[in-house]
Amino acid sequence: MSFIQAILDGLLIGGVYAVISIGLTLAYGVMGIVNFAQAEFLMIGMFVSWFAWAYLGLDPVLAAPLSFAVAFALGWLVQGHLISHVLKAPSVAQIFLTVGLLIVLENGALLAFGSQFRSVTTSYQTMSLSLGSLFVSVPYLIAFAMSLACGLALWWFMRTSWFGRAMRATAQNPMAAQLMGIDTALMYKMAFALGVGLTAFGGAVILPYVTVFPGVGGQFVVLMFTVVVLGGLGSVAGAVVGGLAVGVIQALSALFFPIQLQNLILFLVFILVLAVRPQGLVGASR
Amino acid sequence: MKRWIPIAVIVLAAAAVPLLLNPTGYWIRVFTFTLLFAAMAQAWNLIGGLANQLSLGHAAFFGIGAYTSTILLLKFGISPWLGMFAGGALGGVAALIIAIPTMRLQGHYFALATLAFGEVARVIANVWTSLTGGPVGLSVPFVPPGFAAYSFKQLLPHAYIALIALIIVTAIFEVIRRGAMGYRLRAIRENAAAAEVIGIDTTKVKLQTAVISGVLIAMLGTLYAQVAVFFDPDTVFNAMSISIRVALIAIIGGVGTAIGPILGALFIVPVEELMNDLFSAGAAGLSQLIFGVILIVVILWRPRGLVTVIEALRTWLRGKGAQS
Repeated sequence: MSFIQAILDGLLIGGVYAVISIGLTLAYGVMGIVNFAQAEFLMIGMFVSWFAWAYLGLDPVLAAPLSFAVAFALGWLVQGHLISHVLKAPSVAQIFLTVGLLIVLENGALLAFGSQFRSVTTSYQTMSLSLGSLFVSVPYLIAFAMSLACGLALWWFMRTSWFGRAMRATAQNPMAAQLMGIDTALMYKMAFALGVGLTAFGGAVILPYVTVFPGVGGQFVVLMFTVVVLGGLGSVAGAVVGGLAVGVIQALSALFFPIQLQNLILFLVFILVLAVRPQGLVGASR
Repeated sequence: MKRWIPIAVIVLAAAAVPLLLNPTGYWIRVFTFTLLFAAMAQAWNLIGGLANQLSLGHAAFFGIGAYTSTILLLKFGISPWLGMFAGGALGGVAALIIAIPTMRLQGHYFALATLAFGEVARVIANVWTSLTGGPVGLSVPFVPPGFAAYSFKQLLPHAYIALIALIIVTAIFEVIRRGAMGYRLRAIRENAAAAEVIGIDTTKVKLQTAVISGVLIAMLGTLYAQVAVFFDPDTVFNAMSISIRVALIAIIGGVGTAIGPILGALFIVPVEELMNDLFSAGAAGLSQLIFGVILIVVILWRPRGLVTVIEALRTWLRGKGAQS
């Protein structure tokens, strides 16, 4: 029974992992940039949501669109002023520019907010629904539902809107897209901003069960990369599968191994996938 | 003959610096760590610069080196000089184990895989308490001072050992870069398929480079342990403060050049120390923030590193000389 319970928990948590990792795969799919600072936008989303809760009395989950908006604006600036300069640079410059961004964002938050841990209290924090002999944690369920809604909105946007189609065209062939009159620089900004916005959105919805501090991104870096590599770097649908898989792997390994080894299992899965199938388990390469 | 003169001048100048610093002071420590990090970045430069495989997991080998010599000293009383070679051997083995599954990965994928490997090493060091003492960390025991025991009352000998280490690692880097292996690596970097066609065993060359790089940084781990005296898994296996920092030093200085890591370390380590000294009490994170900003500025302004500033200065000076 605890096995099924773990899978259920894993799927609920994994849905959030999918949404926070989509941005990473979106930026890679559209412009070939791996953003090592992506997890810092999760931290930013969490802080925005925390401040909205503490000062405006907003429920952290309802503050998620605000987190999205703040990160979107920040991402727009970062793409326009920093990353756009290294799009054609060697991967050394690309990797270490985003590493520099990671250092700046994390320490900027440390400077601005201090190193203390902050958490929220909500009415539903410790509630759970019973489903036969299974328990569904209410904060997990809410985070999952919000992630699902967000993921569906993204899917709808990418499928039906002109922007979404233009972005997909840019991902497929930037030069052809440009010849068709698409402003690719604008698409890059849009993809990057949308991506970090989604990550921040995910940060807000997990706030009821994760404490925020400036270094919180570090706990999610390898996790997010595992999600996108499992699904195939650049594939949005792959990130969803990868997110659910990582959630389940985490929940199951917590069942069989001591808590300190939980990340170890994840890292090993990550390395194994990279070594054996770097194009991802789901297959479709970019 | 002529090109040895500037090198000799630089080495002599570097050797004179510790004599001018207060032997029990703060700056001799900064100087020692500058040399040590320059040597570490130079070891990284072999794989990151010559083979163009951007490792973000060198902390794994560095930590193995620090732990091996210290554990051998603690449990068996073996001199760290010998422990250094044992650590180097283990570091080389670890580098081989990591390199075999990751070597065919390129660019971002290799960086990600090595980052994860470094984290695996950190988690293992934290969990394997019976060997490493776990998160509590290890203290290098105090033994009667003497060269054979690698124990000194002052930092001065440590500064010279770090200087000699930097010279040795730089010499190895230059020998490899100028030798047949350097040409093979350059061929692989430019076009791996073409290199394979003309008969280069690309996997073998990359593995050799990875192992040499791992051995060297593991041996430097022992030097670090002897200077730092106390360390824990989260210090020596740290992705940010070891793996990424070492790569950054080489990149800010000029990746793939012998002088790059030295320039990078001379710039980064003292600046960081100065920041910590100035701001640590008032504002946590400010020194790291400035570090990040410097990194972004250097990458955008000088993607090939500070070494290009020197080159530009040199051409400018030469132009001036020609005019007069």
